[in-house]
Amino acid sequence: MFKLGLRSVLAHRLRFVLCTVAVTLGVAFAGGAMVFTDTLSHALKKNYAVSTADITVTPSSPIETGTDRPPTFQAGLADRIAAIPGVASAASQLLVSDVEILTPDGKPLENYGLTSFGASWPRDARVAPFKLVDGTPPSGRNELALDDSTASRAGYAIGDQVRIVTPTQAVTATLTATTTPVAAGAAAGAPLVSFDGATAQYLLLGQAGWTSVSVAVQPGSDADAVSKAIATTIGDSVKVRTAQQVTADGEHSLDSTFGGFSTVLVVFACLALFVGTFLIVNTFAMVVAQRSRELAMLRAIGASRGQVTGTVVAESVVIGILGSTLGLLIGIGVAVGIRFTYQLLDLRIPTASLQVSPATIIVCYVIGIGVTVAAAAPAARRAGKLPPIAAMRDDVTVPERSLLARISIGGFVLLMAVLLYAVGLNAGGTPGVVLITLGAGTGVIAIVMLSPLLSRYVVRALMYPFGRKAPVTLGRRNAERNPRRTSATASALMISVSLICGLMVIAASAKASINQSIADALGTSSILITSGGTPTFSTQIGDRTAQVPGVQSVHRVRQESGQVGKVSVRVSGVSDGTLDGPVTTTFDAGSAAVLGSGQAVLPRNLATTLGLTVGKTFDLATTTGKHRLTVGGILAPNRQLNAVLLSLPAYQKIGGPVTDNLLYVEVAQGNQVAEVRTGILDQLKKDYPSIEVRDQQAYAATAREPVNGVLAALGFLLALAILIALLGIVNTLALGVVERTREIGLLRAIGMDRPQLNRMLRVESIAITLLGALLGVVIGVVFAASVQSSMVDDGLAVRDIPVLQLVIAVAAAALFAVLAAVWPSRRAARLDVLRAIASE
Amino acid sequence: MGVADAAVRAVGVWKRYGGGQTQVNALADVSADFGKGRFTAIMGPSGSGKSTLLHCLAGLDKPSDGSVFLGDVDLTKVPEKQLTHLRRDRIGFVFQAFNLVPTLTALENITLPLDLAGRKPDQDWLTTVIDTIGLTDRLSHKPSELSGGQQQRVACARALVSRPDVVFADEPTGNLDSRSSADVLDFLHRSVRDFGQTVVMVTHDPSAASYSDRVLFLADGTLQSELIDPTAESVLDTMKKLDSAPAEQH
Repeated sequence: MFKLGLRSVLAHRLRFVLCTVAVTLGVAFAGGAMVFTDTLSHALKKNYAVSTADITVTPSSPIETGTDRPPTFQAGLADRIAAIPGVASAASQLLVSDVEILTPDGKPLENYGLTSFGASWPRDARVAPFKLVDGTPPSGRNELALDDSTASRAGYAIGDQVRIVTPTQAVTATLTATTTPVAAGAAAGAPLVSFDGATAQYLLLGQAGWTSVSVAVQPGSDADAVSKAIATTIGDSVKVRTAQQVTADGEHSLDSTFGGFSTVLVVFACLALFVGTFLIVNTFAMVVAQRSRELAMLRAIGASRGQVTGTVVAESVVIGILGSTLGLLIGIGVAVGIRFTYQLLDLRIPTASLQVSPATIIVCYVIGIGVTVAAAAPAARRAGKLPPIAAMRDDVTVPERSLLARISIGGFVLLMAVLLYAVGLNAGGTPGVVLITLGAGTGVIAIVMLSPLLSRYVVRALMYPFGRKAPVTLGRRNAERNPRRTSATASALMISVSLICGLMVIAASAKASINQSIADALGTSSILITSGGTPTFSTQIGDRTAQVPGVQSVHRVRQESGQVGKVSVRVSGVSDGTLDGPVTTTFDAGSAAVLGSGQAVLPRNLATTLGLTVGKTFDLATTTGKHRLTVGGILAPNRQLNAVLLSLPAYQKIGGPVTDNLLYVEVAQGNQVAEVRTGILDQLKKDYPSIEVRDQQAYAATAREPVNGVLAALGFLLALAILIALLGIVNTLALGVVERTREIGLLRAIGMDRPQLNRMLRVESIAITLLGALLGVVIGVVFAASVQSSMVDDGLAVRDIPVLQLVIAVAAAALFAVLAAVWPSRRAARLDVLRAIASE
Repeated sequence: MGVADAAVRAVGVWKRYGGGQTQVNALADVSADFGKGRFTAIMGPSGSGKSTLLHCLAGLDKPSDGSVFLGDVDLTKVPEKQLTHLRRDRIGFVFQAFNLVPTLTALENITLPLDLAGRKPDQDWLTTVIDTIGLTDRLSHKPSELSGGQQQRVACARALVSRPDVVFADEPTGNLDSRSSADVLDFLHRSVRDFGQTVVMVTHDPSAASYSDRVLFLADGTLQSELIDPTAESVLDTMKKLDSAPAEQH
């Protein structure tokens, strides 16, 4: 039966082309993602997850996740460790992120998403994470070193003046050395600026402190034993890890980073295959219908039901193998392409041999073949049910199950979806979003099931404006004549379009919400200063802004992460008067004055989550430890500051860093805001090129920028799903042309010319596409709007439905529909009229 | 019958398939006139070339050699697009099977050639044609809801509705029982007698041929003989004679 299946695929190869393409695209996606992440993670592990120190001691952090800066400890620790028996040397090190390197022409250096680090010059070559390539080690505040790759990329040579921006200040210093990673540490390979120890502390932290101690053990000592001795001596304020543990932790964190990345890609691959499934289902249904006589003949000459089903399954296996193989090859090709692009960018991403693991190959074949066979299964079963007598009859049709069962089940599922949805809408917050998502998923399944019923009416309504000319009527009726096929084809598009539209609405709402909060801030204050580079910036920016003529006052807002019990929170320090001026606040209890006495103010939503009221105390954990605070006031939920609020001194007391996240600038009366803004820009732009200074006008300009960033990447991935859905339309049309050979021949014979034939197919294509696109838009918008309404207090305060973009999307779909009809039309026009109408 | 009276003329038509050793002449130098307002039947055994001749006459197939005139238009010299429009406006078709578009109702099928041409049907004529086929009450039915005979009558109505210069019928009764055949043939006959329609029909059924005014006999791609005002018996006789005179002699 396999041989028969293979023959049949070869004989009808044209019919299976798009089917194979769909499998290929899905598998290529999954395969490419897996190969690339394997390769990169292998390369990174080989190069980065290696420690040069025998033992690494780091401060243990009181909060579990999301620290904005590493915890530090004081200098004495290294001496205490050095005194422990078995320790040959203990060197303090400092390594912090959020350093911005400027190019010689004063622009921030493009790092393609890599974090730049600042470090102290290694004290002990035995445990150094990086070493000298050229020059002399930097010494003092006027000297620094760069890693050689960054230096050459930015165009700096030894002796040049290099400008960088650290969290505490803008620095100009002479480049005295270039470095290269020895082999170790999370920062290897990333842009790295280094200073001598004291300078590093001063410039990078703004205070004394080290982030780790690298320990070398004496020859003959056992690293594990020494490590235990250190842990016992110092206590649980530090984490002590041997080189092996550091490597294991490094690999683990790489695995989880890449795991997340490849999960996202595999999810999209699954989506692509899922959408492709509709195409495969249609192809097999149509091919079996067209070959029903031949299959019945097999039954008549003695093939069993199982054997007939077997031939069709065998065909799907052939397609699956073919599609998976091609997909895997293309996937590997794509991975090679991405790697090549990374190398072109001149980043020091280590090159490793391409990792095509057996797991990748197995997964590709299993999903490729699995999806194809599963999608072909219903058609294969129907083929087995063909009665042998069908071979003798003229008007053979494969028995189709009644739609009744499907519609009743679909109705039930729809009911479930509506219930989930209603409960979700009332629940609000995260559980609400989960329920709404479940409801939307169930709803999509229900609509897929009900769509054969819907398709006729929707198609009729949609095509009404196209008039009643003969080709239009024929095209529309063709779209209506097989509701299952039309709806399966449209469903594939519907799913992709609904995801894209949902994403568009959520992204637009998120952006509108952010803009709204900025607009709110600008409503009460005149100018807003933020950093477009690193999240925090030097306090000097505020100091210098205050000196600009026309500036009345500068309000500082500082933020970092903290933890109350198990709940992660933001902690914010605000300068006096911020809550009375630039931030619009309404106090439920207490007043802004309590901040002055060191008490905390919480927004109501946060207070409710933590179970706190005015007068209660709570323990706030930050990177420096636990701090007991008293609630002095409760605010109405506030878009600008959703955090535990403290005065600046209190914030500093709990270990908050002396760097700003946001500045509100009030302009003195009688000054033009635009002039003052220009003044501030002039003052800051030279040293801090990434600083953004916005007034109403500048804000309006940024608000008009289109939604982008992450959305573009996701959109690209979803576009692939749409592409497959459009291929499905081409497929349905092309197979329809084959199926209706005689009908098209008849139409041609009685005088339908080519333009009319083209128009007929175009109308069918547009009908299917609009059905899918419009259902998709409706589902996507309803879903996103519901998510938004559940997340009003969680960052999606404003609902923004980008109507114009949605209309463009639907119009684009219609345009693609026209293109989708081109190839099938051409095939139809080439049909031999005589053969088509031949009586036998 | 003069040239001016012919609706369709075949002049020295050849149709060859293949080449060299395997060349087959489906039609070899066939010339014939089909008079206006006449009902002509083309008969012959399987493989005699009768369907090929019909296809050439109707502009569905191009002769290898020779000319086909529809009125004074040489169909062999007309480009594809114009040929399509000629078929739509000046020729009617009835095929053996699969005559109707399954998604259209009977009435929509009848008016399809006019709809394709973007013309409004002449209501009086449409009513006359529909009355003649006797399916007034089934006009809103889809083809799948009509019997084989009813479908063929709808096809005949469609062939007539655009008042074509000529109607070509290719084995129109091939799939029908005798009663339905009689209905269809009667209709074709009346369209010639009452409306002055020109009909050319290919058939292998002598009783079908007896409805015509004139029968052309074809064998091995050449015209063998013809009968005027045939009866089923005279047709049968002629066919017997042709069978007993082997084609090799020609």
